[in-house]
Amino acid sequence: MFVLSFLVRRLLQGALIVFIVSLLIFTLLRVVPGDPVRLMAGGMAPEALIEQIAKDMGLRDPIIVQFGRYMSGVVQGDLGQSFVRPANGASTGGANFNDSTRGERAKVLDLILETLPMTLQLAGLAIVIALAFSFLVGIPGGLAPGRWPDRLAFYISSIFVSLPNFWLGIILALLLSVKLGWLPAIGYQGFAYTILPAIVLAVELSPVLIRTLTASMAGIMMEPFVAVGKVRGLSRRRIVFGHALRNASVPLLNLLGIQFSGLLGGVLIVEFIFDYPGLGLLTINAVLQRDFPLIQGIAIVTSAIFVFINIAVDLVATMIDPRLEY
Amino acid sequence: MSVLEAIPAKSVEPESIRGASISRRIWRLAMSSNEFRFGLAICLILLIAAIFYPEWSGIDPTKMNVKDRLIPPLFLQQGWTWAHPLGTDQIGRDMLVRSLVGLRYSFLIGVSTVALMLCVGCSLGMIAGYFGGKIDTVIMRITDAQLSIPMIILAIAVLGVSRPTIPAIILVLGLSSWPTYARVTRSVVMTERKREYVRAAQVMGASNFRIMVRLLAPLILPPIIFVSVLDVARMMIFESILGFIGLGVQPPTPTFGNIIADGRKYLLNAWWIATMPGVFLCVTLTSINLMGAVLERARNRIHGGAS
Repeated sequence: MFVLSFLVRRLLQGALIVFIVSLLIFTLLRVVPGDPVRLMAGGMAPEALIEQIAKDMGLRDPIIVQFGRYMSGVVQGDLGQSFVRPANGASTGGANFNDSTRGERAKVLDLILETLPMTLQLAGLAIVIALAFSFLVGIPGGLAPGRWPDRLAFYISSIFVSLPNFWLGIILALLLSVKLGWLPAIGYQGFAYTILPAIVLAVELSPVLIRTLTASMAGIMMEPFVAVGKVRGLSRRRIVFGHALRNASVPLLNLLGIQFSGLLGGVLIVEFIFDYPGLGLLTINAVLQRDFPLIQGIAIVTSAIFVFINIAVDLVATMIDPRLEY
Repeated sequence: MSVLEAIPAKSVEPESIRGASISRRIWRLAMSSNEFRFGLAICLILLIAAIFYPEWSGIDPTKMNVKDRLIPPLFLQQGWTWAHPLGTDQIGRDMLVRSLVGLRYSFLIGVSTVALMLCVGCSLGMIAGYFGGKIDTVIMRITDAQLSIPMIILAIAVLGVSRPTIPAIILVLGLSSWPTYARVTRSVVMTERKREYVRAAQVMGASNFRIMVRLLAPLILPPIIFVSVLDVARMMIFESILGFIGLGVQPPTPTFGNIIADGRKYLLNAWWIATMPGVFLCVTLTSINLMGAVLERARNRIHGGAS
């Protein structure tokens, strides 16, 4: 029962958040200068034609009216159509814009659903690599505060957090795929193409994880129940992996929920560098083409995912540590 | 929190240190660690070089010199010269000067962005925490919403649609990442405002504004500002990311981002164009991050290790 009321409350809050996000991004896109119609119709189109198209598409109405129209579609699961992308996936051509091709423009939802699994695959692999690495470095660090494993963890996290992801991506692509030929890098033709981008993402993700894990591990090893465990005759291995780690992983889990938006930012850049056909590449292209409906759709979908992930994180955290309240 | 365990600072400090203000104590604790001194030294050297070297050397970072193009950095490949310690790019511009000028912009943008973030975040957090109630709810809901949009998407969306100038970049980066500061400030203010001294000031007739600015701000802000050093590094990375995808400071002004984006095209025959600025950026960021991390640990220790 508690779970149910918790879920209802959090989902309502989440819906509010998604609403504010869409209002924010919708207004921002329309307030800042830059006319999408100019881009669609091509630089040579006469001013009158542009005004005509803009009026037909409802882009000259007050922002509130536009927003209301857009949201009524969103509620029915319709995120609108892309301004520039045709449905058949051919390259975008803004120059020959006219009303007869309007019907063939790709649906925003389809575009997002096409690329989302690719990005989830990339992000999932990155999280697995980052977690494995952080446990490997962070647990010894937390068990030996002040001694060399702790220092090592400190240095590794300080250096990793200072590596700009785009630069690291270029360097790793040069080293591992051009010079050594170990991993494929550019484009996507199979699972192997996910590994290199995932490593870059993992490097970006792991410093915070290592730091949190070290600190919480060190804190928990000072707790009375650890000392009691020793008295009860439990082996050190059992204490560390059975008892301490379980408690230390709760802050880690919360962190992963918060880190999601950071991860998405990394995905954007990494996909751009490796030409990986995911949500990030779609976003960058949408922005560069001023494809308003696509940008809005992506913002709404990502904030919804963010909300869901944080609800899931809180649920799992209470399963790991029953003392936490919903 | 544990690297500092090695530092001879007992949890019960002598009376003389106890009397000092919290920020003095954090600073002293941080200064006693080798990591902090190392980071500070590197950072100062780089800053001094960035301020003086470009003018002192007299090399114009945007001047082409086709005769001297694609010279490799010192000792790394045949053809290097002392005149260009980090080599030159595809049209003969000196990489060292370009990197240092890039560092100037990067640092300028990083620091002013964090200053803006602190202003917006801390004042909103303070208002939310001080007044509570409806104001608090509204501000915190906005904060949640802002946290759930990846800030890089926001920044790219706004800068891609409008024109990226330096003030615009600072504004966008600053306005899209204040929420964490708002949260931290709010939580501290909420505990502080119930203390006696705040009540006393209220009884004495001090206005809310006066209490916030004169009493709470000097107490709360310094520790937050220390930790914001870490964000300077983060913002410098974001600035270079924006430059890399062409939405940062526009060429011909050299920034780390656009130098690396440029060098990427020549990666196979002149690897140093993309690599060297990155090494430079990475060293700078490591020094800043070392300082920031030590300051953060010192703050956590002073505050009892709880937070």
